[in-house]
Amino acid sequence: MKKYVALLLILSLIVMSFGVVGCGQKQAKTVKIAYIGPITGPNAAIGLGMKNSAELAIKQANASGKLPYKLELLVLDDASDPAQAVNAANKAASDPDVVAAVAHFNSGCALASVHAFHKFGLPAVIIAAIHPKITQNGYPEITRVIGDINIQEKVAGKKATTEFGLKKFAVIQDQTDYGKSNAEAFMDEVKRNGGEIVSYDGIAVGQQDFSALLTTIKAKNPEMIFFGGLATEAALIKRQMADLKIPAIFMSDSGILSSTFNEIAKDAATGTLAHGYGAPIEDLPGGQAFIKAYNEAGFKEPYEAYGPFAYDAAGIVIEAIKKVGPDRAKLVNAIRDTRDYNGVLGKTSFDQNGQTTADLVTTYISENGKWVPYYKSTLKVKDKKIQ
Amino acid sequence: MAEFAVVFQQLLNGLSLGAMYSLIAIGFTLFFGVIDLINFAHGEIYMLGAFVALITVSILGGMGLIGLNFIVVLAVVLLVTMIFCALVGAAVERSVVKPMRGAPDLMTLLVTLGVSIILREAVMLFYPNGANPQAFPDLLPAGDFSLGGVLIKYEQLFLLTVAAVLVVFLYFLVNKTDYGRYMRATSQDREAAMMMGLDIDRIIVLTFMLGSALGAVAGVLNGMYYNIIKFNMGFLMGIKGFSAAVVGGLGNIYGAVVGGLLLGFLEMFAAAFIPGGSRYQDVIGFLIVIFFLVFRPSGIFHEKVYEKV
Repeated sequence: MKKYVALLLILSLIVMSFGVVGCGQKQAKTVKIAYIGPITGPNAAIGLGMKNSAELAIKQANASGKLPYKLELLVLDDASDPAQAVNAANKAASDPDVVAAVAHFNSGCALASVHAFHKFGLPAVIIAAIHPKITQNGYPEITRVIGDINIQEKVAGKKATTEFGLKKFAVIQDQTDYGKSNAEAFMDEVKRNGGEIVSYDGIAVGQQDFSALLTTIKAKNPEMIFFGGLATEAALIKRQMADLKIPAIFMSDSGILSSTFNEIAKDAATGTLAHGYGAPIEDLPGGQAFIKAYNEAGFKEPYEAYGPFAYDAAGIVIEAIKKVGPDRAKLVNAIRDTRDYNGVLGKTSFDQNGQTTADLVTTYISENGKWVPYYKSTLKVKDKKIQ
Repeated sequence: MAEFAVVFQQLLNGLSLGAMYSLIAIGFTLFFGVIDLINFAHGEIYMLGAFVALITVSILGGMGLIGLNFIVVLAVVLLVTMIFCALVGAAVERSVVKPMRGAPDLMTLLVTLGVSIILREAVMLFYPNGANPQAFPDLLPAGDFSLGGVLIKYEQLFLLTVAAVLVVFLYFLVNKTDYGRYMRATSQDREAAMMMGLDIDRIIVLTFMLGSALGAVAGVLNGMYYNIIKFNMGFLMGIKGFSAAVVGGLGNIYGAVVGGLLLGFLEMFAAAFIPGGSRYQDVIGFLIVIFFLVFRPSGIFHEKVYEKV
């Protein structure tokens, strides 16, 4: 009798283990995409908007029923800290179900984690980190859906020379990495388009009085003063330009696109031009549909400025999975080969470095104490009213 | 712009900057003259002045009084700021400087340095959004006029007028009043002054109030001129004011005025006429100080040669 009981037990164990294996096979059909971005820390609001948007893309893909797998988002926090970013990348890469990642708002995080992605052969689409070097390691795993720092100034330089028809430029920069690289990229593009740089000066961050420098610049009659730097110094320069009645347009870049600039420069702010990444979301090609879907999905947090970038990054990954299946090695090439992906941001294609070829940069102008897209503003460069 | 107009414009720029340095330098020189103290908290008094003015303006605005004649508003703001900072100056003297009397000068110096850090961090922590730069309201009607191609702002005129009035007031105070005589007596020989029956403690505290009030005015003027104030603005300005006082000759009020103006002019001309000089604008002042300390430690106006510190 004991024998039979034992046999029965063994049989039932075997059956049960079959059952478990069966379940295991079913679970293998879940495919994970990692999201790595700031969920806590100073950029948490932006990071949560990006996370929700990536999640929205995955929900929509699951709902469409076209995939033979269930997609899942593995959310990992980088807290805007490069060390945590590397940990998160390692964690994502060591999970065999994770086939790709969409990652990062901060350049520091992306610069650190790309090496981990490369080491593990995990394809990663960078969402909103703009440092040029992120895509310059020659890693086939890394792609990026946002333009790098040079694209902003390429657009700015071209706009100032060809569209606005300006010829004489004075350039000032604040001697930080950010200010200097922006100013130099701007000057390169201006010179390429036949513009003339009449002066190029550096200032110190924290300096208050620019009247001496500006008086010297005024004597050279530039049509535009370009500043590479941040809001505080920019506001002081713009005010002192107004005080000295310098008849030149003032332009800078995303570093001054904040309310701080308008608050400090006050009336003098009017007519200042600045370039920023992306565009007002409602004006993007797929913007309205995105906003509608996002609102219907019932997320607690707003999508913030970079939600659409995360949505497209996740969309590109899903598109590639549809083509080649959930296999990291194949996905590396499939993502890299993305051409004309039709997303919220418009058409995305990657160049040989994995960098998006789209130059989604918007010109903003300060009007009535606010930054408005230049194409929506009543102020125009040609009217000369904005000096 | 004609060449000479550019030079005059730069002169005016330098004059405006120099006037602010002078007001701060006077504070340093007063403290040093009367009790041989270098008060490093003085730069923070200047910063406090700017913030108190900002708060006063917003309170006036809240009471709906900002629409009043701007002269009334300015007078109220300046008065409130001067009184407040004079009291802070007195509090600093009574709480930390006075207990240090008799201690080595280095101790007093360290104590004032400590006070400056506390004041600076306190504004950063307790002023709403204090780590960010704050916009300072326009208290004067905006406007300017041109004189032979040189643009003169009303703000510049106001700044220079206020500075000039204060210097003249100080001259009379020091040379024509009893308090001035007491102050000079204390400065020349403290023991002798005490033996003559002077209340030294009171004179010292009054001197602190006077110097702090002048520093506070410099803070308000700076806010009005640049329209931006920040919790850490006192550090650099304090060192520059001190430099101006050293250049002029520590302990000499006229030296402080001249030193401040000289520093303002030199900075402007360095930025304007040395190629690429704008990035070294803030460094020039300190080069001058080093030059003076090496070659003429008693400053332009030889007041008193100091061995301490």
